[in-house]
Amino acid sequence: MMHTAPIIEFDRVSKVYPSGGGPVTALHDVTLSIAAGEFIALIGPSGCGKSTLMRLIGDLEQPSAGTVRVKAKTPEQARRDRDYGIVFQAPVLYEWRTVRKNVELPLEIMGRPAEQRRERAMSLLRMVGLGDFAQAYPHQLSGGMQQRAAIARALSFSPSILLMDEPFGALDEITRERMQVELLSIWAESEPRPTVIFVTHSIPEAVFLADRVVVMSPRPGRVQRIVTIDLPRPRVFETREAPRFFSLVTEVREALRAVDNGR
Amino acid sequence: MQATTVSRSVDVPARVSSWLRDVWPPLLTFVVVIALWEGAVRLFQIPLYLLPAPSQILETFLARPGYLLRIGLLTFTNALVGCAIGVTLGCLVAALCVRWRVVADGLVPLAVAASAVPIIALSPLMGIWLGSISPASKIAVVAVMTFFPTLVSVYRGLVSPRADALLLMRSYAAPQRVVFSHLRAPAALPFLFSALRVCATLSMIGAVVAEFFGGPQNALGVYIKTQAGILRTREAWAAILVACLYGLAFYVAVVLAERAAMPWKRGR
Repeated sequence: MMHTAPIIEFDRVSKVYPSGGGPVTALHDVTLSIAAGEFIALIGPSGCGKSTLMRLIGDLEQPSAGTVRVKAKTPEQARRDRDYGIVFQAPVLYEWRTVRKNVELPLEIMGRPAEQRRERAMSLLRMVGLGDFAQAYPHQLSGGMQQRAAIARALSFSPSILLMDEPFGALDEITRERMQVELLSIWAESEPRPTVIFVTHSIPEAVFLADRVVVMSPRPGRVQRIVTIDLPRPRVFETREAPRFFSLVTEVREALRAVDNGR
Repeated sequence: MQATTVSRSVDVPARVSSWLRDVWPPLLTFVVVIALWEGAVRLFQIPLYLLPAPSQILETFLARPGYLLRIGLLTFTNALVGCAIGVTLGCLVAALCVRWRVVADGLVPLAVAASAVPIIALSPLMGIWLGSISPASKIAVVAVMTFFPTLVSVYRGLVSPRADALLLMRSYAAPQRVVFSHLRAPAALPFLFSALRVCATLSMIGAVVAEFFGGPQNALGVYIKTQAGILRTREAWAAILVACLYGLAFYVAVVLAERAAMPWKRGR
């Protein structure tokens, strides 16, 4: 896959949290460059700083040292320019809004006209298979459907970067595998195709989805290894049964084990 | 569209039957209590001045319903106006507390304490400050009574959104005003209505009891006090019945408004 100039750049970034037992280094000296349109999976054990890394990109937290550049801007400027869509582990839909109104929320805040909002929301809901549930309230939907609505909401304003923090972590394995296939097809259909930063602690999930898997190690959190995933796209259900898939899963697993041994 | 049609056709009979299921136990209890009361009064031949039977109370009420409902309306108006003032101020101060957390730190614990205090005890003092006959003193009592529970409840509602919901707003670069109108205010709505339910009851109590300490002759509280004072218990009870009717009507109005204002809570 051809990649253009970097859209996200980490230059010797560290993040230190103050805590009762002295400062905790969540992220230490991370240098990383992500190309536009890339699908990046961040994987590692708890406390490796993968969520922190994602939140630094989204200006939900600020680095203690080093610089983060997003589209050659500060993360704060990028946030103000609405360059990010975010999906959390919980769907975080607003319960008083219908599914369609939830998807419209960012567009409403950005002052888009009602007709345009409605059309965009409906086309996204059809894309994620929720066309029939536009008028339903979130509590009437299953967990998987709620998360699909949350993805539609994040894509509604066509952000150039999609930040996903363990979005399928709360789903059962079967729903999860189906959602991974759906996410890839939604991603492929999106125009322009966003850069995705996907935090997970599932090895097969990371390998199945990503162009590159960033393996991180804890205490202090840093980048251990980057595994390039050369599985062809579009990736489908059968991709998980391919020998190359297994060898890549093994490669990531080995990298994670090296993390354990190095401790 | 399709989904709503489907869910509606399934839900309507289910909703009616669940409504019936909710309604009949308290209804039955009410009928049993009234029957026991009526039976006890007749069986033990309780003297009228001690406790009239429900049938006698109803009879007294029906003898002059117009008069009783009219004096009740006067008291009820005080309750309504006082409640409106108390709830409005409670909401405004709660909003200020969200904007300036320092205000909240100082005020909210105090308001929690004030909610537990019998504010009705202020009634005689309000009479001194605002005139014991004037409606202003009754309205003030009700306003103070409803202010604190509203403030506490609505404040809790405004700060109830989880961190993720607020981060979402941050990711949209939403200004504070939008965070308030699109997230905090709707999240506080269920809290506001639970406060309103409490306030509906409190305000009628406050308005009647405040009149025990003085008020115009044609006010419900004054009437109850005078009639009870000369042992005309039936008349006092009939007036209490009217107070109950107004209080209940207020409560039901709040519940209906709640259902209308929060369609997403229906059928849960």
